[in-house]
Amino acid sequence: MDLFKLSYYPFLAEAKEWVKEQGVSVEEILSDVIYERARRRAIERIEHAILKGTISEAPLTNEVDCAMEIFSYPIARMIAVSFENEYVLRRYALAEAKKAYERMKNEDMQFIVHIAEEFGMEIKNDAIHFSDYLRYAPTWDMKWKLVNRDLKDGYVSVAKQEIARLLQEAIRKKIYDELAYLYAPPEIKRVFYNDILRLRSKVVVRKEKKIRGDASFPDFPPCIKAIISAVKSGKNVPHVGRFTLVTFLNAIGMDEDEILKLFSKSPDFQEDKARYQIEHITGKISGTVYSIPRCSTIRTWGLCYPDERCKYVSHPLMYYRRKRK
Amino acid sequence: MNFLRKKFYSYYLHPSIKFPHRVERREFAFVLFNEQSMHRHISFSSKDGLLNYLKTNIPAHVYYSSAYYRNPSASTMQEKKWMGADLIFDLDADHLPNAKEMSYEDSLREVKKEAIKLLSFLIDDFGFSKEEIEIYFSGSRGYHLHVSNSKVLELGSQERREIVDYITGRGLNIEEIAREKKIYKGKFVDKTIEICPQAGGWKGRIAKTLIKFFREIRNMSREKAIEELMKIESVGNKMAEDIYDALNDERMRRIEEGKLDQATAFKKIVKPLIRKLAISLHSEADEPVTADIKRLIRLPGSLHGKTGLRVTEVKIDEINEFEPLRDAVVFSDEKVKIKMLKPFRIEMMEEEFDLKGVAKVPEYLAVFLVAKGVAEAFS
Repeated sequence: MDLFKLSYYPFLAEAKEWVKEQGVSVEEILSDVIYERARRRAIERIEHAILKGTISEAPLTNEVDCAMEIFSYPIARMIAVSFENEYVLRRYALAEAKKAYERMKNEDMQFIVHIAEEFGMEIKNDAIHFSDYLRYAPTWDMKWKLVNRDLKDGYVSVAKQEIARLLQEAIRKKIYDELAYLYAPPEIKRVFYNDILRLRSKVVVRKEKKIRGDASFPDFPPCIKAIISAVKSGKNVPHVGRFTLVTFLNAIGMDEDEILKLFSKSPDFQEDKARYQIEHITGKISGTVYSIPRCSTIRTWGLCYPDERCKYVSHPLMYYRRKRK
Repeated sequence: MNFLRKKFYSYYLHPSIKFPHRVERREFAFVLFNEQSMHRHISFSSKDGLLNYLKTNIPAHVYYSSAYYRNPSASTMQEKKWMGADLIFDLDADHLPNAKEMSYEDSLREVKKEAIKLLSFLIDDFGFSKEEIEIYFSGSRGYHLHVSNSKVLELGSQERREIVDYITGRGLNIEEIAREKKIYKGKFVDKTIEICPQAGGWKGRIAKTLIKFFREIRNMSREKAIEELMKIESVGNKMAEDIYDALNDERMRRIEEGKLDQATAFKKIVKPLIRKLAISLHSEADEPVTADIKRLIRLPGSLHGKTGLRVTEVKIDEINEFEPLRDAVVFSDEKVKIKMLKPFRIEMMEEEFDLKGVAKVPEYLAVFLVAKGVAEAFS
């Protein structure tokens, strides 16, 4: 892979290898003026990730630009870790993954398959092995649910762009998992002291955005109540049930942390994954706010336990609004 | 020693156990006779250890974990350290929609049909080879399908739930499978639904079944066809007639090409069809056991304490011929005197028994009846 390509995908093993070959010490990279540009770019990566949820574009005209771009990635990772803040780690990992997705969409199939192989995905003839598919697909979305896909002989048919989307999640996971074990030398905090301080205040402010009115549990429709009590008692709730619950709670103004707290009793609870899914549904990551399924849909999912009031409504939110009047 | 325990002992002296892969990484659990609680968190470093345990303790029920653990005998999940788990499907007659109305023998036949349906999903759709799939009669009311494939070992429970949703047709979106097309002809709109028999997955399954269904209808007499169509929920006489009468050569040819012109009729037919194709796997509670990545399953070759039947392997190619009440029997036909606690009728070893009062029956039946709690043994 040439240097231009590598600078687009600095999380690849090949990029890591390249950095190693340059034989630059951490000390040099943090203090030598030659790497000032890489350091500025690293902060840019983090700043854009926190504020915009993606990574900004940097003009790359020659090999030096590319080298700086690649170097900026390991520095940015160390900065992210220095925040000692879960939200920043998640946000940064996702931003890098989203940027990669945006770029991969324009690559040819051969290149995408090459990256997919690095992530251990088995792809042949425009189809991916279902186990790799399940690991990374946003299956809470109806059109990604396995049951609605073309599955034959163990492989799910996927379009190029869909493989890129699966890779986005694989990349996010890889970066996030790596950050969890990454050691950031104390000098990082010193070198980037002002930037970290400035950005930290922004993180705090973002988190304080408040909810729109209180959730009133007694007024919830029976289907939602049933899912909540199942979740609370630690039962395994089917995907569609979780989906319904999150869309509902989001619509009535509960914030993501509160929703997450509800799920923490689930037997297979993984905070990182659960949060990702919640934020996908609430539109924080996906950009689409998923709407609450209608009563008829909930019924076909076998999650409907109607009471008297349900006769007059066709949508869970309608039930809630009417009861609150 | 009571009757059952004595019989189980004679079996466990020379049992035909089918050991799971990586025995030493599994947790074992046992229920002993006359005890309610389960002895859990037991592990064996070798197959001989397990065989010795069976011989010494003569358990009524034997289970092992579908999961592999670093420390299988630790008492908490955290200390156990989960490494992966086989994919297990538990088909139980109790999950059949009309389980209560069926006799034991009939429900076993019905649940075997589900197992055959499931095999087709596992092989054709999920691409597992026959060597990776093992089928066991559970010793009581169902079948267990075990899949051991390195690609599924580490799947978490959410991913497994997706597999369950797939085979049960849960969350299936009909619009994804059959696209409605509107063709405008002047003032009128023709609605055609496009199905795709060449496709994989549910899309292909449904398309193929629909085409087959219409072909069969067309080959029937008018009366028979209408009768058959009216069996479908919410299809009345008028609609049945309309469907049949419109099914001319041209229409049939279009259907074979994947074009269904009768959109309304299609919508009525497709739902019951999905129900028929899907696997009835839901347990009455909510959670299909397959998604559970740390559940216990019966050890193949062990005896079921409530029937005395053996958890018996069924060869995939011989599943049609498999008769649980013949092939899972391990005890002799030596006559044993028993006292029936209530009248009972059953067909076992291809012989019909209608029993009440004191009776002399083959040993295998005596064990079955005593285990079931409908008879007592003398001696």
